[in-house]
Amino acid sequence: MRKCIGIILLIIIAWGILTSLQTMPFGVSRAKVANHYINNGKDETGAANIVTSVVINYRAFDTLGEVTVLFLSAIGLGAVLATIKTREKRDTEKASLILSTGCRFLFPPIILFGAYIFIHGHLTPGGGFQGGAIIASAFLLMYLGCHGEKRLNDRCSTFSESLGGLAFVIIGLIGLAVGTHYFLNNFMPLGKFNTLLSAGVIPIIYIAIGFKVGAELSKIIDLLMEES
Amino acid sequence: MVNKNPSFVGKVGNFLYLFSFLFLLWFVLTNTLNPEELFTGISISIVLSLILSNNYKKLGLPPLGIKRIEYFIMFTLVLLKEIVKANFDVAYRVLHPKLPIKPGIVIIKTELKQDIAKIILANSITLTPGTFTLDIKGNELLIHWINVRSEKKEESTKKIGERFEKYLKVVFA
Repeated sequence: MRKCIGIILLIIIAWGILTSLQTMPFGVSRAKVANHYINNGKDETGAANIVTSVVINYRAFDTLGEVTVLFLSAIGLGAVLATIKTREKRDTEKASLILSTGCRFLFPPIILFGAYIFIHGHLTPGGGFQGGAIIASAFLLMYLGCHGEKRLNDRCSTFSESLGGLAFVIIGLIGLAVGTHYFLNNFMPLGKFNTLLSAGVIPIIYIAIGFKVGAELSKIIDLLMEES
Repeated sequence: MVNKNPSFVGKVGNFLYLFSFLFLLWFVLTNTLNPEELFTGISISIVLSLILSNNYKKLGLPPLGIKRIEYFIMFTLVLLKEIVKANFDVAYRVLHPKLPIKPGIVIIKTELKQDIAKIILANSITLTPGTFTLDIKGNELLIHWINVRSEKKEESTKKIGERFEKYLKVVFA
């Protein structure tokens, strides 16, 4: 009896899928949106990197959500770790001179490389998220190599994080106010294609995201190291 | 306004040092003479150097000079030569049917004072196949050697460290 009911249910589902599939045209390209991005992305957004033109222009609202998710995860981690009060004293040995000196030597170049990645987000592969992650990796290296020697400046990281988030939202709202009235409307001149000062607001937003992501990920690392 | 205070001069020197290093790196990354890119690079390097140059001084990087650069290039060439030589030596030891190795840990002394000089020496020794720097304690380097030729500190210093150190001494004088 149960098998019969199962077979009947399966037939109903199969029929439903079949009818919906039949309405779709066969042999015709259905990736209209993707084709639009590829063919017109360059002219509409001015960004040489198509991925960036999608992430920061066509789907910028979605990116704002992603940044918010990262922000919430940092807050969540902070809330969870703040409840742990007792901190075990662990015997730690200082890293050898080779490691600590190397880390100190590499710290500024890594930060510069992260900045390079997010400033050139509209020209080369990479962008705010990747650049921010690279900057956070510099802090992680500092924490691992020179343990307890240097700490992330709390106010500085909070400031750059808030600044990044605010810049993103404010530029989005300005875009809403002027021009064609949609969020993150690219209201600035597109400039000459494939140069640093091109693609309107895209580089500014990527710099804001770079600051925000870098500060947030560093903060997460800081919280985790504090508890260990 | 020129402040004659030596610490101020030292600070400016540190700043310029890190600034030129970072700007050179930026130039290598962007590989263009476009004024927009150069301006962005200069401003980022200035901000980073202002924040981080104090920390960089502790590493003991040498001031720039023609003789230092000359010796550093010579050091690089010697390092390359030693790496090739040591590669053949280790390959010979690996392929030899009797496996003529005598692994052990030796201690060598160094006269270099700056941290960065010590780690350059340690990393050159590590890069050369057959020798491997385990740790630095004060002015002594702990080294694992695939074929220990002498257990005395002076002799092993001569055999492992000396060939690099004579150039680094001039660079970091």
